Amino acid sequence: MFRELTKVLPRPVLVVLAIVVGSTFIFLLYLGMNKLINYAPERYHEGLYGAMFVGPAIFLLGLFLLYPAIRTIYLSFFDKRGNNFIGLENYIWSFSDRMMLITIRNQVIWLVGVVTLVILFGLVVGYISDRLKKGEAFFKSIIFMPMAISAVGSSAIFKFIYEYRPPPLTQIGLINGLRVGVGSDVNGNECGNNVTLDDGTKLDYVNEGCLKPIGWLQQRDLTNLPSFENITSTDFFSSIFVNFPINTVLLMLVMVWMFTGFAMVVFSAAIKAIPGEIIEAGQIDGASEGKIFLSIVIPYLKTTILVVATYMTVSVLKAFDIIYVTTRGDFETNLLAVKMLDEFAKFLNQGRSAAVAVIIFISVIPIIILNIIRNKSEAKS
Amino acid sequence: MNNQVQKWYDKPISKIILVSISLTWVLPYFGFVLSSFRPGDSIKRVSWWSSIATGDFIREFTFDNYSEILFAENLSRSFFNSFAVTIPSTIIPITIAAFAAYAFAFIDFKGKDIAFLFVVAMMIVPLQMSLIPLIKLFSKGAVLFGVTVIPELSINGTFVAVWFAHTGFGLPLATFLLRDFMMGLPKSVIESAKIDGASHLTTFFKLALPLSVAGIAAFATFQFLWVYNDFLVANVFLGIRPQNLVVTSHVAQLTVGNYGEAWHLRTSGAVISMIVPLIVFFSLQRFFIRGLIGGAVKG
Repeated sequence: MFRELTKVLPRPVLVVLAIVVGSTFIFLLYLGMNKLINYAPERYHEGLYGAMFVGPAIFLLGLFLLYPAIRTIYLSFFDKRGNNFIGLENYIWSFSDRMMLITIRNQVIWLVGVVTLVILFGLVVGYISDRLKKGEAFFKSIIFMPMAISAVGSSAIFKFIYEYRPPPLTQIGLINGLRVGVGSDVNGNECGNNVTLDDGTKLDYVNEGCLKPIGWLQQRDLTNLPSFENITSTDFFSSIFVNFPINTVLLMLVMVWMFTGFAMVVFSAAIKAIPGEIIEAGQIDGASEGKIFLSIVIPYLKTTILVVATYMTVSVLKAFDIIYVTTRGDFETNLLAVKMLDEFAKFLNQGRSAAVAVIIFISVIPIIILNIIRNKSEAKS
Repeated sequence: MNNQVQKWYDKPISKIILVSISLTWVLPYFGFVLSSFRPGDSIKRVSWWSSIATGDFIREFTFDNYSEILFAENLSRSFFNSFAVTIPSTIIPITIAAFAAYAFAFIDFKGKDIAFLFVVAMMIVPLQMSLIPLIKLFSKGAVLFGVTVIPELSINGTFVAVWFAHTGFGLPLATFLLRDFMMGLPKSVIESAKIDGASHLTTFFKLALPLSVAGIAAFATFQFLWVYNDFLVANVFLGIRPQNLVVTSHVAQLTVGNYGEAWHLRTSGAVISMIVPLIVFFSLQRFFIRGLIGGAVKG
């Protein structure tokens, strides 16, 4: 029926119709059920009303979340088309395939990096802005704004900052543009970003001695970076250092930029709830501000930190848009959520895709358990 | 008290930290928004900061990128699609959740605790767990023990599929938050309505809903922005056919490739995509933040 309608009606009418129908049919459904209940004997009414009010929600949750989740677990033990049982093979692949291992490594870097940095920045910004005499709201709005716009938009913004163009083109990305304009070449001429001065001389960065632009998002380790060209990976630590995935870290910062505002809002609400006398008592005892922050404010915020850490962990595990829009998972920047969709849509392998989804789900569980334990111990005390 | 002693936060150092952090946070937007007002070839020829320094920016200031992206590139169509996705995807889950929340708060029925536990448990399921089976459910229906539970719908690539998906993903949190809110309503008011002979449906529409407006608004703002900004669900269930693009998937397509270095379209497109969220954010900030903090566990 939908398909026939789409052929007959012009598009704008269709879209408006879709909005109206989509927003009202649900009310009609409940009104209809209510009419039906009125025909039933009086003594069943309370129970029937319960079923009518809760039933649709439970049914939809079962259909759209529980059934698919069980089905995904089931599929993760089957082959690419879901026909033959292959046991744990998809999971063995998940932890042995080179690209999967890199994806898992990136996910760990993101988890540690984003969660730590967001909590750190959120605490600092929340604490300082709370003490401002004026301008607190303005300042908070600035930090919080990235939270309102889409991850796709944020990624576009940062892609523009990290933009790289092959020499001798003008570098329009902020980082490369500033980089190539510094210093002078071997002949003592100034380097520049294809700038023409008022007297007509053109400043370039292609000459020997000028800094070359770097494709930041293609930079999977330090080996191609100018200052690190000569380091070799002899022992364990230097090999970790050489393999430092600079593009992954740069992309991770996009998420930090986006979510610091969230942490700040949550923390500053919690900081406002700390009784003022306690901090004053600390000041009278002569404790420094740093000491007060560490030994009074932080212990008070323990639960809040766990809440933020939980939210961030779950968000990072589901992070999709940033990678998809910037590198599409290339140059060893992939994350689990992108890999999951790629396995399904690009490589047409349901089994592997389902296994990656299950890995995401399992990674969420520990922090949820931590929260449950925390809630229980709080309920006791 | 030591009022004479200058507080650390009045000292210049903390002001410097604050100002430099906020500048760092604003700078990314700045060059981006500025570039959306520059002609496409200028963006590539001169970096945006030197265009300010030389005055080129003022001389070449233009709105052409915006008319190109909106009409030639048809972002305006994606814009309408976004609303066709977002408005029902906000209203449907809230309606269903409000009914359920009312029952959890005010109706006694068998299995209430188990039903509620189920709702809470569904909050921790990441949406990645549902994607593949949902795609199949929407195309081929569901057969359980040989009985067709859901018929063959083939609704993938239609608005209906996205509405359903967002309903499923938003429902647990909506139910949880609204139940919390309704539990806080004065029980005596609801009881007295019942004694006066009002049916549950009347009580729901005349009392419970109007009294929960604040809670509903908080979740609605949150869900609206979540759906509007969502890319993954739209990408999976609506696809990338031009007439099906929503604003986020359109901007993603511009950014990810195919368009070479079309920064004048990428910037203006992304800026347009940000206008609605920013309006919602600045006018409903209070509600949004409340919904967001409540939504800290969304699936």
